[in-house]
Amino acid sequence: MSRPILRALLKYGLLGVGAVMMVAPFLDMFLGALRTPAELLAIPQVYWPRDPQWINFARVFSELPVLRWLTNSVIVTVAITTLQMTTSTMAGYALAKYKFWGSGAILRAVLGAQMFPFFLLIIPIFFMLRYVPLAGGNDLLGAGGTGLLSSYMALILPFAVTWYGIFLMRQFFLNVSDEIIDAARIDGAGEFRIFLTIALPLVRPGLATLGVFVFIYHWNEVIWTMTVTRSVPELQTIPVGIYLLRGAFADPSTESLQRAAVCVSILPVIAVFLFLQRYYVRGLMAGSVKG
Amino acid sequence: MIEWISSKRVAPYVFIAPVIILGLLFFAVPLSYSAYISLTDWDSMSTPQWVGLKNYSYLLTEDSFFFSSLVNTFYFAFGMMALSVPIALTVAYVISRSRYQEFWRALYWLPMITNTVAVAYIWKFILSDSSGLLNRTLDVLGLPGPNWLTSPSLSMFSVVVVAVWVSLGHNILLFAAGLNDIDESYYEAGKLDGAHPLQMFWHVTIPLLRPTILFVMITNFITALSSFALMLVLTEGGPVRSTTVTGLYLYEMAFADLRLGRASAAAFVLFVLILLISLAQLRLFRRGGVVAY
Repeated sequence: MSRPILRALLKYGLLGVGAVMMVAPFLDMFLGALRTPAELLAIPQVYWPRDPQWINFARVFSELPVLRWLTNSVIVTVAITTLQMTTSTMAGYALAKYKFWGSGAILRAVLGAQMFPFFLLIIPIFFMLRYVPLAGGNDLLGAGGTGLLSSYMALILPFAVTWYGIFLMRQFFLNVSDEIIDAARIDGAGEFRIFLTIALPLVRPGLATLGVFVFIYHWNEVIWTMTVTRSVPELQTIPVGIYLLRGAFADPSTESLQRAAVCVSILPVIAVFLFLQRYYVRGLMAGSVKG
Repeated sequence: MIEWISSKRVAPYVFIAPVIILGLLFFAVPLSYSAYISLTDWDSMSTPQWVGLKNYSYLLTEDSFFFSSLVNTFYFAFGMMALSVPIALTVAYVISRSRYQEFWRALYWLPMITNTVAVAYIWKFILSDSSGLLNRTLDVLGLPGPNWLTSPSLSMFSVVVVAVWVSLGHNILLFAAGLNDIDESYYEAGKLDGAHPLQMFWHVTIPLLRPTILFVMITNFITALSSFALMLVLTEGGPVRSTTVTGLYLYEMAFADLRLGRASAAAFVLFVLILLISLAQLRLFRRGGVVAY
């Protein structure tokens, strides 16, 4: 065999192995969702389902609170995404286009805050929300009830601001030319009008990048949501719901159902990703290369 | 009034106000609150009892579980970096020399956008002792199938492998960007000198990509030091604490044992460690020729 052919074989062989390593685990999950209870209990377990149980995907919706979980996921994720896009564009615009008292310090704070990992904030935020006065059955001193913990607020509010998003949007606004803004000022437009009608439309790619990135990140968020909703089933999102129900799947015959639910939790993200991939990728790059 | 608010002098404060307020409420205040809690003994219900630095001295001198959790944390972070970076670099390089680059790269993004619970379940099934895909395959090949997740000596390695599987997409993307910046003329010069692709990779790509490699290594390491979601849902820190990293240890100390003072102190110790490592590595960056970060 000639060397170029050998080389190509090696190259595509390696790529092929990599592709299998990436996709096969998903396929394993998916195939498992289609097995019958009998196939699961057989020893050894039947690997390829002979009679694919597509109905398992329907049973997930009727036998598990998947619809509830999906609704919660959508509510929480959409609310966080909207909030973060609002706060990030406003702050990013202020830091990119104005020189005001404290702007330098605020920019440094935004960059510095990114170094603080979330595990530092979980404990204090949890108990701050728990002891909010007059909320969730609490008295004036914040005792007696559950505070904001048993509401959507607990899942949304702590994530209203993203340091990364502020920085990202500032980068996009820096590319908006000052001449356009000054021209609008001369025409007598107020600062908010300029922001909404001139600057914001010019950073649409930035908005899309931030939106997709935040959406996927918070759809997949597990630790905080689990901490808050462990005892509040009606607030659980789909990954957390699936995880906390693991006890109900001790019986191996229900394994297919559990696997089907896991598939359902992945699909919305893959759908979003397929359409908006390039924005997501840009978000990843912006997050890792600063400057 | 509206005129005044939307003037050039006042408007920036209006734009920045939400971030200032929310940043104080959900960052500055909790951070200080946590520092205070770490100096007390608190079970979440009664009044916190001031104990000074007792929690810190306990963690650093008496708590052997804290120490072993740090060992696990560094095992995880180092293992992940040591496996993910060379694999990602190799794959990114091979992809950059192939057709359909977008397609090959996109495959690696699948695990990255999948939620941790799903990732944990996918691998729990694959790695399960007797019925899992991996041990079945090994069985067909006549090889013994070890207990990937249920033996304490192997569990952390398995967790590392899963974390690497998740991380490849992002790292490949970063390397792809770095590779893209390498001028094609270097490779052409190499070709003229009769270098084969492997030599080219070793003598042209790696030296030119050094800043990117350093950057990816360091960010991987630091991110891994503070992550514990995968251990929480895949192994719950077990068996026998073999996958309890410090983040998970302090999380359980707080929300299962309600030892909030000690847990907060553990959070600060881990944070300071991460900070010191980041600073040390920043210097490494500068010497390694990375100035942009």
